[in-house]
Amino acid sequence: MKDIITPRPVPRAINWNRLQDDKDLEVWNRLTVNFWLPEKVPLSNDVQSWASLRPDEQALTIRVFTGLTLLDTIQNALGAPAMLADVQTPHEEAVLTNIAFMEAVHARSYSSIFSTLCSTKEVDEAFRWSEDNPHLQAKARLILDQYDAGADPLRRKIASVFLESFLFYSGFYLPMYWSSRAKLTNTADLIRLIIRDEAIHGYYIGYKFQRATERLPQAEKDALKDFAFALMFDLYEIEARYAEELYDGIGLTEDVKAFLHYNANKALQNLGYEALFPPAACDVNPAILAALSPDSENHDFFSGSGSSYVIGKTVATEDTDWDF
Amino acid sequence: MLDHSLKGATASAFDYHALNAMLNLYDDQGHIRFDADRMAARQYFLQHVNQNTVFFHSLDEKLRYLVDEGYYEAAVLDQYSTDFIHRIWDAAFARKFRFPTFLGAFKYYTSYTLKTRDGQRYLERFEDRVVMVALALARGDETQAMAFMQEILSGRFQPATPTFLNAGKSSRGELISCFLLRVEDNMESIGRAINSSLQLSKRGGGVALMLTNIREAGAPIKGIENQSSGIIPVMKLLEDSFSYANQLGARQGAGAVYLNAHHPDILQFLDTKRENADEKIRIKTLSLGVVIPDVTFDLAKRNEDMYLFSPHDVAKVYGVPFSEISVTEKYDEMVGDKRIRKRKINARAFFQTLAEIQFESGYPYIMFEDTVNRANPIAGRIAMSNLCSEILQVNEPSEFNDDLSYRHLGTDISCNLGSLNIAMAMDGADLGATVETAVRALTAVSEMSAIDSVPSIRRGNDESHAIGLGQMNLHGFLARERIHYGSTEGVDFTRVYFAAVAFHALRASNALAREKGQSFKGFAASRYADGTFFDKYVTRDWLPATDTVRALFDRFGIALPDRAAWADLRDAVMRDGLYNRNLQAVPPTGSISYINNSTSSIHPIVSKIEIRKEGKIGRVYYPAPFMTNDNLEFYRDAYDIGPDAIIDTYAAATEHVDQGLSLTLFFPAEATTRDINRAQIHAWKSGIKTIYYVRLRQTALEGTEVQGCVSCTL
Repeated sequence: MKDIITPRPVPRAINWNRLQDDKDLEVWNRLTVNFWLPEKVPLSNDVQSWASLRPDEQALTIRVFTGLTLLDTIQNALGAPAMLADVQTPHEEAVLTNIAFMEAVHARSYSSIFSTLCSTKEVDEAFRWSEDNPHLQAKARLILDQYDAGADPLRRKIASVFLESFLFYSGFYLPMYWSSRAKLTNTADLIRLIIRDEAIHGYYIGYKFQRATERLPQAEKDALKDFAFALMFDLYEIEARYAEELYDGIGLTEDVKAFLHYNANKALQNLGYEALFPPAACDVNPAILAALSPDSENHDFFSGSGSSYVIGKTVATEDTDWDF
Repeated sequence: MLDHSLKGATASAFDYHALNAMLNLYDDQGHIRFDADRMAARQYFLQHVNQNTVFFHSLDEKLRYLVDEGYYEAAVLDQYSTDFIHRIWDAAFARKFRFPTFLGAFKYYTSYTLKTRDGQRYLERFEDRVVMVALALARGDETQAMAFMQEILSGRFQPATPTFLNAGKSSRGELISCFLLRVEDNMESIGRAINSSLQLSKRGGGVALMLTNIREAGAPIKGIENQSSGIIPVMKLLEDSFSYANQLGARQGAGAVYLNAHHPDILQFLDTKRENADEKIRIKTLSLGVVIPDVTFDLAKRNEDMYLFSPHDVAKVYGVPFSEISVTEKYDEMVGDKRIRKRKINARAFFQTLAEIQFESGYPYIMFEDTVNRANPIAGRIAMSNLCSEILQVNEPSEFNDDLSYRHLGTDISCNLGSLNIAMAMDGADLGATVETAVRALTAVSEMSAIDSVPSIRRGNDESHAIGLGQMNLHGFLARERIHYGSTEGVDFTRVYFAAVAFHALRASNALAREKGQSFKGFAASRYADGTFFDKYVTRDWLPATDTVRALFDRFGIALPDRAAWADLRDAVMRDGLYNRNLQAVPPTGSISYINNSTSSIHPIVSKIEIRKEGKIGRVYYPAPFMTNDNLEFYRDAYDIGPDAIIDTYAAATEHVDQGLSLTLFFPAEATTRDINRAQIHAWKSGIKTIYYVRLRQTALEGTEVQGCVSCTL
């Protein structure tokens, strides 16, 4: 009898010069030039602005960021690694490890905000709140169910896209709102860097989902779509309650919900599905919508660092360049 | 901000922020919604300003209250008769000034206008501020006061922020924008520099410091090797000092440091801005500038190494600080001198590193040392620039006793700035009068300032009366006249306009010298005194070369000086002198160009709808001046226009500006370090004196962009 150990597949080195999918390289390049660390943003310039918030506004802000920390933690520790098992190309694997790492940077960033602006006690209280908050825990659980080892890889991608492109935004709303009111503008810069990353993550995973479903029989496609919409309904219901609990106190809930609708549609679009909410329900406050774009922002260097700088492509000059 | 109640932001009734943000989102037909912004400006007054402005029954009541409560400086008003006070206020309000954009109004009310001490209520309208600035600067001269008021309120002349914000108020910061300090290679000078930075930040100016003379890390102290910590710890101290000192919380202190490219710490200096720099050496808020001599370019051309020289040894060998030496001139000599310790790096690799850091952070600024000194008509060396890289003046080192008192009081640099709105100045039809009024207003600021906390600054200002007249709204003007920025006609206009401004600025300063019977110190040793400065103006004419531009000046009725006029001016200057040592400097104009409805400086616009973000106002949207849905083609943005057209435009202006111009370069994020290097070489070859920021724009990955957003589309 031979050994019954299944033979280990031949380990293969990744060859970036043989791409199965050009999108992998495009996204890899974008993600790597976008690399950043929270230390780049002068958060301490927001200390005065923080002090001008009312105590309830401060508490709300800390809670929102704690909620975001939880999502980033899930995505870093479980979400991106879980998807590694399902990759279709070695390059996709490389992209996913980058995504996982940046999620850790994001989770780390919220702590930078906390340590710069708040007291330890306030932060500890907010972390306790996040562990006890039923809505936050419920949505985390819904996502985690799909990340479990036995779950279907495509459903996992659906959950991941919903997390990246939808669930974050009830939290992102607040710093965008503050910055449109000239509050916490450096914190908003940092959040915008995170949004810049999450937009690509959601887009990329959604793209991979679409590629993977292309060849499926119609029945399976339909089942996946039913699953996606059902999950979206469940998540939306939780999100709506989560938003009410957070934002009712300051009267922003309707506006936040419009923003949720907008992003739910965006998440579905990433998966290749049609919109769920009619345009009228997605009437996001223009100040928030416009605040999402990091492009070509003309910032004043003396009070912020902006979110448009990237790590450049290095190319040596040649003799012809020095022709003078 | 005064109100930040969270209510009222709901989508049902758009507030002014939401209306303003609609500028950045196309309407259903794909048009830009300019009307939304105008509505935002209107709603801002209705919903906010009018409700929060303290009401007075009459001007007398208002002025009495403001003086009694200690808001206005009584001495400013006491110089004038009550009758005149009424006349100037009536004349100001008769102009019916309205802010054309939301950002203009918002910026004015959040950052400039006088508020009650609790910050809750407004005490001034725009007209009040303008009149108070005019009264303060005219110092009792009624005709002058009226002229200042008309120039400012018409939008032709806009004083820089410190002057416009502070003049006439009782508790206020300084009127001067900008300070430049030398730092020498000893602990007393470093300590004094930190103290001066604190003092100047407290009073509200940007401060730049030159670190070129400080010995490098590892250099000996008192003959013992490996003792010096170099410049990085000094930068850390300065960064913290600037964060600590802010004007009553109004604005963070802001500082810049300049270093010569041939200083041994140059690479560490640049690495402080790296994305992955260690926290101990990372510099976040201090701005960096590098001084590059011609020899560095020559070495890079030959692809050779460049030597870096220990400032400590150079000072010992030559008996003067490193910054007083022309590296280009002494390069070979210093390379051969074994008393000077040195190390080397590859010159091209240095330029590449420079570009890498600019990609990651926008820094450093660059000053082309030899270009600057060749163009400098004043005796002495220029070895640094300022926070916005447009001030270029000579200075002189100070020496200190152990208790930090001066053994020798040197001179440091201050500069007060103000800018003309090119479009309004052209509309005004009397460019000469506009320039002269501006020069007189800026001179008044210099004469009214005495920075006693930093004696070297005070001495520098007293002796030089240096001013910096800038320009803005070039792109706005060209687009309104349907001329493309950077086109042959655009460059032609720039050249002719700046030559005319130089003429009138010199004419005004010459008139001041005659009136006051006094020239700046060092006039006799300048190239003005021997007339050689004027050579290029009396041997050829600086008149339009294209029909379009000739017709343009004719249509606006602006007379241009020919070589005969220049020759007369030369003779008058040689005979009677100049009152101001420096006259022109073109600053980047952030805030004031929004209030003044201008495009910034002589840059192209950064976007049709600019997203402006800064500490005090948050994120606000600004439409380019004079833009409509019909003339959009003339509003190509800076990233689209590209660095070459910008450099050509700036080169045409640089020719006629005695100091510098803040020149920002714009690249798409797909550019490479080589593209940046090529632009730097082109700039240097074209006679550009300084480069300010490098700005990048990253386009959203397809599929991730915000739909229907004006600033996101290309």
